[in-house]
Amino acid sequence: MKREDTIEIRWHGRGGQGAVTSAELTALSAIHENKFAQAFPSFGPERRGAPVLAFNRISAEHAIRVRSSVIKPDIVVVLDPGLVTLINVVDGLKPGGWLIVNSTRSIDDLQSEFSGDWKLAVVDASSIARELLRVNIVNTTMLGALIKTTGVIKIDSLKEQLEVKFGARAKANLEACRKAFDTTVISSITTGGQKKVRTFAVENLAKWSELPVGCVVTDVGNTKQFCTGDWKAQHPVWNDSKCIKCGICSLFCPEFCISQQKDGYFRANEFYCKGCGICAQECWTQSITMVEEA
Amino acid sequence: METLSIYAPKLITNREYIASGHRACSGCGEVLAMRYVCKALGRNTIISNATGCMEIISTPLPQTAWEVPWIHTLFENASAVASGIECGLKALKRKHGYTKEVKVVAMGGDGATADIGLQSLSGAMERGHDFIYVCYDNEAYMNTGIQRSSETPFGASTTTAPAGKASMGQHTWKKNMAAIAAAHEIQYVATSCSSYPFDIMTKVEKAIKIKGPSYIHILSVCPTGWRCPSNSTIKMGRLAVETGIFPMYEIENGKYTLNIDLPKLRPVEDYLKLQGRFRHLDKDNTAEIQEKVLEEYNKVKRLAAGNKAK
Repeated sequence: MKREDTIEIRWHGRGGQGAVTSAELTALSAIHENKFAQAFPSFGPERRGAPVLAFNRISAEHAIRVRSSVIKPDIVVVLDPGLVTLINVVDGLKPGGWLIVNSTRSIDDLQSEFSGDWKLAVVDASSIARELLRVNIVNTTMLGALIKTTGVIKIDSLKEQLEVKFGARAKANLEACRKAFDTTVISSITTGGQKKVRTFAVENLAKWSELPVGCVVTDVGNTKQFCTGDWKAQHPVWNDSKCIKCGICSLFCPEFCISQQKDGYFRANEFYCKGCGICAQECWTQSITMVEEA
Repeated sequence: METLSIYAPKLITNREYIASGHRACSGCGEVLAMRYVCKALGRNTIISNATGCMEIISTPLPQTAWEVPWIHTLFENASAVASGIECGLKALKRKHGYTKEVKVVAMGGDGATADIGLQSLSGAMERGHDFIYVCYDNEAYMNTGIQRSSETPFGASTTTAPAGKASMGQHTWKKNMAAIAAAHEIQYVATSCSSYPFDIMTKVEKAIKIKGPSYIHILSVCPTGWRCPSNSTIKMGRLAVETGIFPMYEIENGKYTLNIDLPKLRPVEDYLKLQGRFRHLDKDNTAEIQEKVLEEYNKVKRLAAGNKAK
């Protein structure tokens, strides 16, 4: 049984964004403050870019015996702005709980998407991370927002953990964390907004009992039903006036999702594009730019 | 722009033999290499694929990304299964008048090729089965979370060869699989890289024509395991070749040809400094790597020059 004083945190991120590290640092900082804490991730067979979860439990008083994933969190932290419209991040969030989101959108705009008795905090962690760390990895930055809003851990204990984990790079990470601490905007959700969840085609998968003996799959190429497009944090945009129709983008696309249109220009199939950015990097005429997902 | 006569879409078939919707990491160079290999192989192919990244990401049951006959094998027996299929096809031809020309291909990662499956590969090459072995070398066991393999380069930090105070990461040099394959005196051995699609396709087309075993070793960039941005996949592969770290060559009946012979190699720092797995290396380590790279590169160059002299 979970004791009343245990605080539970659920982290939403994408593989490679550092949600697991965030959870780890939070737990280590709490332990440093002589609290009890755990941190663990949860993900499927998907790879870098796929949505992943990480969890924390922190208790000031009692050792934590629960080992299962967090279903009813007190705090939800969303590392990737795109995930808000993609999955139900507030699933199971307790009344009065915190929803902390990394987004470039205004707090009023985001507020309109949720309805429930929660407190909302928004910080543009991606911009902070890009400015101070020169990469779009927001895990340590988002810790600043977590500390500001909920105070589950202290920034000084985090500082020590950052130094152990990152060594020379701890300074920049701590700076990003402090900046997020200063720029996080807080509000409570009162309006009954309607959450817009993007809808993709529903997968039509066979049940285990319908599989032929020997696990033979006769429906060739049926991964086409699977949407990998929701892994991406950025998508490619073409400037056709610069395009020379050379097709390099299509040649180097690891999702094989860039094809030539009837007019000769190229476009990516957003259903599969994972937003790796190879096309933009390799385009000879630089006619492709990567644009952040909303 | 009209003078530009080479356009990629006109040179390459539109037909894909691996479907989209596979679960590879964003920016995966290995799946790109596999795509080019399959484009060159065409429809009349049976693939035996060892466990590893490419097997996991292409066939999450009940789905498959494959549009050619494909069988999942264990790490250690991709070549053994391919041998069996090839013999089966022979028997069909002999007893049942089967006439189609079907190419048998075994595929595996660097772990399945250079570590676990080396015995079955060696056996199949020695027995002279008519098959192609393609190794997608991403320089560690990336599928299970970046554990070192015998193809991991010197100095790279992996989870089982971590860099720290007591160690500078992998302390052994990359195993030369192409030389091991060539030592079996098979007709065709080649190395290639995921950033050179036409090179891969030309080499696979050559391998198809050969009656007997052939071996192609493809360096496949892994942004996840190499700790570099996912958009730098192609650049990183080119740098591996341009620095001489991974020379692209062919060995046809014992004759070496260096496919890309640069007048001046780039310094290895250009390649090493862009990857997180080499971040901890100091000047001495880099100098050591530079020396070894030049030594190996010149060895291949000498062998290739020897052929020209003949």
